[in-house]
Formats: sequence, structure tokens, C-alpha cells
Amino acid sequence: MSAIQRPGDRLSMPLPATIAEAIGLEMERDPSILCIGEDIGRAGGVFGCTRGLQDRFGKDRVMDAPIAEMGFAGMGVGLAQAGMRPLVEIMFADFIGVCLEQMYNAAAKIPYMSGGRQRMPIVFKTAGGCIGSAAQHSQCLWGLFAHLPGLKIVAPCSPYDHKGLMAAALRCDDPIVFIEHKALLLRKGRDFRHNPHAPSEAYTVPIGKAAVVREGSDVTLATLSATVEHALAAADALSGEGISVEVVDLRSVVPLDTATTAESAARTGRLLVVDEDYLSFGLSAELSMRVLERLGFSALKQVERLAVPDVPIPAALALEKAVVPGPDMIAEALHKMAQGA
Amino acid sequence: MVSMRAFDEVCLDALRRKAIHGELHVGIGQEAIGAGMAEALRTEDAVVSTHRNHYHGLAKGVDRMAFLAEICERETGLCRGRGGHMHPFDPANNFSATGIVGASLPVALGYAHAFRIRDEGAVAVGVTGDGGSHTGAFHEAMVMAGAARLPMVALVENNALAISVPFDDISPTRTVAERALAYSALGLHVNGTDVDKVADSFAAAMEHARSGRGPVIFEATCHRFRGHFEGDPEEYRSREERQKLRDSFDPITLYEGKLLEAGHSDDAALKAVRANEKAKMKALLQDVLDMPSPDPSEALQYRFVEEMTA
Repeated sequence: MSAIQRPGDRLSMPLPATIAEAIGLEMERDPSILCIGEDIGRAGGVFGCTRGLQDRFGKDRVMDAPIAEMGFAGMGVGLAQAGMRPLVEIMFADFIGVCLEQMYNAAAKIPYMSGGRQRMPIVFKTAGGCIGSAAQHSQCLWGLFAHLPGLKIVAPCSPYDHKGLMAAALRCDDPIVFIEHKALLLRKGRDFRHNPHAPSEAYTVPIGKAAVVREGSDVTLATLSATVEHALAAADALSGEGISVEVVDLRSVVPLDTATTAESAARTGRLLVVDEDYLSFGLSAELSMRVLERLGFSALKQVERLAVPDVPIPAALALEKAVVPGPDMIAEALHKMAQGA
Repeated sequence: MVSMRAFDEVCLDALRRKAIHGELHVGIGQEAIGAGMAEALRTEDAVVSTHRNHYHGLAKGVDRMAFLAEICERETGLCRGRGGHMHPFDPANNFSATGIVGASLPVALGYAHAFRIRDEGAVAVGVTGDGGSHTGAFHEAMVMAGAARLPMVALVENNALAISVPFDDISPTRTVAERALAYSALGLHVNGTDVDKVADSFAAAMEHARSGRGPVIFEATCHRFRGHFEGDPEEYRSREERQKLRDSFDPITLYEGKLLEAGHSDDAALKAVRANEKAKMKALLQDVLDMPSPDPSEALQYRFVEEMTA
């Protein structure tokens, strides 16, 4: 990379390069930050999110781990207890099944179990979401992690947010699950509809604050991660028909910014929560309920949710499209709501 | 050893007096390991212990009043009553524990990596039992520690029972220590009821790890005199069996025997030591029982940084 870049150049950066830049800037700033994970060193990560970092910071700080997730997830816990700030990459969110023990019994609970005397600055960075890889390589799982008290769950969409939230995560003293979306990791800055430009210098985006990424007056659509892009596409498609959609990018599941969503829904009178994670016992019900508790149960004309209907993600494209909310499915749901009242 | 046993005995008393309302795992019968560790441990070393952690914490220098107060669920406890007996955390002494069998080793691995890259000359001790030595976490941690020659000691307290399942019935090897070869580690096996042997051998293990020669599997065989937890019906062994273990393998009695035989002490002096430690711990328990329980209105506090007061 040259020292001076115009914004136009930066828009051609793949999203993983932006993430690597964020991690690199934080590692320069704070020598206690180190990264562990499979294929993150020599290969620079299967998506390239740590590319170049091992050359810059050495093998002790950018460690290629064996396929031993329980071992190195727990290693992250020990590193944090020893005063370091580990970033532990679990390649795909689905693989967390083999090391969840260290995440939910150790990292998540230790700050509380110690009466606040043992901080746990650790980032579990992982990639979730659907890119056609079927049931064991497509899950989002933020609802599962959010159900377990003690973890903060971040799932950004825009390049700007990826960079700023990664920096904020690495500076935070709490354990954070940072869930990237595989489909977004395959994009360049210019492919994004919202906030495609991430400045080259270090900055943070506060964890726990949602953003209204498109203003509208008829329906509030709250979602996060790649679905924000689908929602913006659907909203654009409907604007020609005179349906005005406000899109809220939640950016994190824990903390969940109910206030921003409720404030928007109170204005539009309708709330649609769209979630690429599973429907039941998840984000869509939780957010809907919190908004209603805040506004009163008769405050809104309509509350709907759209999520993966409790089925493993199928392999066949036709089946996948039938269960994972994409732009068309979202547009249809919005249409129905607009007609409904 | 006498002090450690007296500590666990007042824990039993606290349980009877309902100051502890959950599971309690005491180490009575395994004192030689706790005491044997103490000499070779430095403040900067880390110990990550198990559900049966009291002796390891005392060996690591955890304040006994704060420790007992935590076990008795008091606001003044090591963790303000949020952790309890299975989850003590003492960052100043690099001491922690986990209630999940085998999960201590990966955490010790993290300490070991931090110690090595910071070149601090400290050693991380991950404690587990024979049961924990069969977990994937144990294997994964040993693979990584062995490959990077990290300063880590896996201390296996082999009390021959994973709750009810005898070690000999489920282990593919006669000892855990002999598995060290697979990880380019040093394997040491010691009679864990002989405090002198434990102390010498554990010191050698720590020296090996401290001097950069890689990890150690340090296995100390011992006997758990009481149930896996207080209230364990122990249907897997008879009363006679248990009595036999107490008669033959009590590390305190064995050591007292040695002292008497060598003429270093006499009956009266040994009795006085025991009585003195008992009295001290009884007084400690009384002080702890007078301490306040946590305030229910603060039950949600200390999850996240935003909820920290001090």
C-alpha cells in the first residue's frame, strides 16, 4: 500500500484488507494484542483478514494454531488472564461447537464469577452467514452466543463499521464475539450500498449503538450484518411504489440498541425485524418484545419478523433461497406490511 | 498439610452450618500434593486449578480469609460471592480455577505463551485429575505446549477415580505421565502421598519448564478419602475400602511417622500442631460467618466493564 491513498483507491480494497488494517493499527498501538487461529499467519486468513500481519509482527503475535479450537480458545482465556489482549479467530462460526466450552463457561463468565476482579479482554473473531456452503458452514449463530450471558456480540455490515468496531472490540475489556459475514468478506468497498469508505487512519465505532442507515416513514426494518445490504436493496426496490422504508443497522446483538429501533418504530408505526439467524428463541423475537415493552403493547400498528425458519441451511440454491431472507423475500414481507394497514 | 486439612475441615463445618449451599469438593487425603507444590511456586507463576482447588489456592498464596469467605458465599470473598468454591479468581496471585474437568489446561497454555513471549521466566501450572487427562482439551493443550516448548506443567492429581470410574478401567496407558513422550514433554510420576517426594519432584518439574526445556506432565498418585462431592453416596466403593485408604495412605500420618522415626518430633508436639491449626481455622470460619452476604440488589453487577464500581 502506498502512503497516500485517495478514497477512490480505498474503495477497491477487499473488506478483509480493511479488517487487517484495523487489526494492524491496533497491534501497533498496543503490544499486548496478539492473534491466534487457523491459517491466519502464513496464509493471512482464509479470507485475508490478517494478511501481512505475521510478517509485520512475528509468529509470537500472529500465531498459526493447530486444528485444536478448544486448546487455543482456552489459550485466549489464559492470555487475557495473563494481561494480554488476544484475538482468537475461529475460522467459521459453525466450528465454535467444538470450543464453546471455553467461550461460555470461561471467557463469558469469568468477569462476573470473579466479582469484576478478573477482566477478560478477548475477541473471538469468526465468519458466519450463508454463501451456499450448506448446513455446517452457513450459520450466523449470534442468537446462540447472545443467549449466554457475559459475551458482547458484534456483527457489522459496512466497511466503515468493520474497521471501527474491530478497533473498539480490541480496546474493550469484555469478551467479544465479532461475527463477520462470509458474503461481505468476498466484497470490495465499492460493492457496498452504505458507508463503503473506511478511512486509512485508526478510529473506533462505539459497540452497542445502532445506526439508521436509510430514512423512511412507512416501516422500520431492523437487521444487521449482510442483511442490511439486502434490506437496502429491498427498500430501494419498494421506493418506486411509494413505500418508504427506514432501515436500522443494529451492528451488535449484545448490547442490543432497543432505543434506536423503538424510536424509529414509534415514528413509522410498523416494525419488521429481519434475521439471517434461526427464527425461534432468537434476535427477532427478542428485539420485537423489547421494543413493545418500551413503547407499550398497542403502540405499533404491526410487528413482523422474518428469519430462517428453524431448519438447517440446505445445499440446493433453490432451497437456500426459500429459507434465508434475501432482497426478494424482504421486499415481499415489506409489501405485505404496507398493504396490511 | 495440617493447615490445608484444617481448612477443608472447616469447609465441611460451613456446609453443615448451611453457609455453603451448593456442591463442595474437598481434597482431604490429597494434602501432600498441595503442600508439595507450595515450595517451588513463585508469585509470578500461574496455577489454573480444578473443582477441587482449595489446596492449590493455598499453595499459591491466596489469602485464606478471602478464600474461605468466597467459599462461604460472602460479599467480602475473593470474588464477592459470585464465584463460590469452584470458581476462585485471584489475579494478583495468578491463581484461578474452573469447574469444568480438563478445561484448566488450555487456560494454563495461554499463561505459558504470555510468559514465554514476555520472557518472564514464569511457569504456568494447569491442574487436572486423572479424569481430566482423558479430555480433548488436555491433548490439545499438550500438543501446543510441546510444539512450542512452553513453560507449562500439567499437574495430574491421579486419585484413581473419575467420580466412580477407576482409572485402570478406562486409561489406555498404565500412567498418564508416560503419555508425555507423545508431546515431547517430560513425564514424571510420583507417589502423591509422600510430601517430600512430591516437593522434590515438583521442583524438578518446575525447573525443567522454567529453563526452557518444554512442558512437563507431572503425575502424582493419591487417594480421595471422601466422596467426589459432599453428599456423594459412594456406591462405587465400600466403607471398608475407604477405611483402608485412610489407614494406609494418609499423607499427614505418613509424614508424622517419618518425623517420629527420625526423632525430629514427638507425639505431643505433633498433636499440638494439629490442634493449633484446627483452632486457627475454626476462628477463621467464625470471622467469615460474621461477614455479610452479597446484596441481592447487586445480583446483576460485574458482567461487563460498564458495571464495574471499583
